[in-house]
Amino acid sequence: MPQIPSTDDPQTTFRYPLRWRIMDALNYGLDRFWPARMSPYTGWALIMPALLLVGILVLGLFEMADSSLHTLDRAIFRPSEAYTLENYQAVMESATYGRVVMRSVFAAGLTVFFTLLLALPYAYIMVRTTRSAVRKALLVTLFLPFFIGQVVRAYGLLIILGTNGVANNALGLVGIEPIRLLFNFPAVVFGLVQYMLPFAVLMLAPALTAIPRETETAASSLGANWLQSFRHIVLPMAKPGLIGAGLVVGTLSLTDFAMPAMLGGGSQDFIANAIYDQFFRTADQGLGAALALLLVVLGSVIVGVVIALFGAGTLGMGSKK
Amino acid sequence: MTARSQRILFWALVWFCILILSVPTVIVVGASFTTANMISFPPEGFTLKWYGKIALARDLQQAFVRSLIVSTVCLIASVPVGTLAGLALSRFKLRFANAIQIYLLLPFTVPLIGSGIGMMLVFGEWRVLGSLWPVGVALAVINLPFIIWSVSSSAGALDGDLELAASSCGAGRFETFWFVTLPGVMPGVITGGLLMFVLAMSEFLVSLLLTDARTVTLPVQIYNNIRSIITPDLAAVSSVFVVIALLAVWLLDRLVGLEIFLKSK
Repeated sequence: MPQIPSTDDPQTTFRYPLRWRIMDALNYGLDRFWPARMSPYTGWALIMPALLLVGILVLGLFEMADSSLHTLDRAIFRPSEAYTLENYQAVMESATYGRVVMRSVFAAGLTVFFTLLLALPYAYIMVRTTRSAVRKALLVTLFLPFFIGQVVRAYGLLIILGTNGVANNALGLVGIEPIRLLFNFPAVVFGLVQYMLPFAVLMLAPALTAIPRETETAASSLGANWLQSFRHIVLPMAKPGLIGAGLVVGTLSLTDFAMPAMLGGGSQDFIANAIYDQFFRTADQGLGAALALLLVVLGSVIVGVVIALFGAGTLGMGSKK
Repeated sequence: MTARSQRILFWALVWFCILILSVPTVIVVGASFTTANMISFPPEGFTLKWYGKIALARDLQQAFVRSLIVSTVCLIASVPVGTLAGLALSRFKLRFANAIQIYLLLPFTVPLIGSGIGMMLVFGEWRVLGSLWPVGVALAVINLPFIIWSVSSSAGALDGDLELAASSCGAGRFETFWFVTLPGVMPGVITGGLLMFVLAMSEFLVSLLLTDARTVTLPVQIYNNIRSIITPDLAAVSSVFVVIALLAVWLLDRLVGLEIFLKSK
């Protein structure tokens, strides 16, 4: 019969391990601090820090709203005391801002179109390929620029597209005179597409993974050619991914700053550049804040309409059932 | 199985993507070895002198250290907060869960220029503008959804019965969390943390808005220098980011595997 250790036997006194002590203390602390009867609120306690952290941003929006309601008093160069809507009126009536907004929206639309056009085959091949080395290579190609950051990538494009850059040198080899590839609208859109591609593919890929390979096989065994099965099987089933990707690409490019600033050379300003100039060049904080809030509203309206029409796609957080 | 025409068309587009994704990086790294005093490509000769030059440049060194500090602050702020929030969203039934989701997605839906300027005003009001930690906190805010996402998708894959089993075996609530839940979501925490750190390292716009001449971080420094003149030493600095990105991709692949991003939810 095995010997059962007992506490009254001094030879086999059991030493309670330190780790257990710590765990017990932590459990005790947790019970004191957050008793089990509070458990209905545990979820709220866990999410509270995140709500507070994002609260800084919300507070910032309120600060902006407040400062957008004061005009700049040019006599003393400080915001006026009185509340007024004049800044919004100024933005609405300005033809310059109208042009800037139209340019941003148009560029964002083009960027969404071209990015999805490129991202869809990329994600499709990456998900469907049977060779794991190819998949890995495609993933690495995607993640590298994603981590390198926008400034360095724009810098690379500057070198390529410059007058003495690679692109013009290549054109020179086939006897074409150097052309100005930089500081125009297509350059900015190209930069945006290049910048957005990883985002779009990463939003699309999970949605494509969710499509069983068999449905396509079934479609083709029923006589659909690849165009038909792509059009009627893959595209509808990839809709959550397309929406998620489209939303991310659209809002990010609509509000982008660095690409228009670096590849547009000041001639292709987007809304974000106009806001920046109001804050840091003209120092008209009120007008800049009004512009920024209008951009927030514009972005939210677009996101809201798309989500209301098509759902949040792959953008939703948590495991929704 | 796939048709020939589909394969050709898709691969053509994929090669085009690969080209436009990689060529800028290759060019930047290549240009950093040029012996000429201006950027040229193909590079003339081979030299490491630009790396020697940036290693001695105090302003670049300081900007690099500041970037590291900012990213670390961002990591410290975002990992606990994001982990708890990701768990809350996927393991607990919350009322108004939809409203919370929309609220927590604000950092993505509010344009960066808007959140950056808003936080600039808030930090200005709090009189902390000009120090480094607010930049890290701000970057934690704007990228928070990334880590919440990765943690909650890990948590969604974790079997809830494991936690029940642990507690029926006598584990207290803290032990259950520490020995069952947390290891279960670790892949998500690691992925999210890595994303937060590297994205904070290379983030540009919010850093531009929240830093001044004394607290400028490396991406902002590069931007400022590009505005004035393009020289090969800038390409060498940019190559630092390429190395960081390579390291991050390698780490991510070793720790959780890049394929995790292809998983459907």
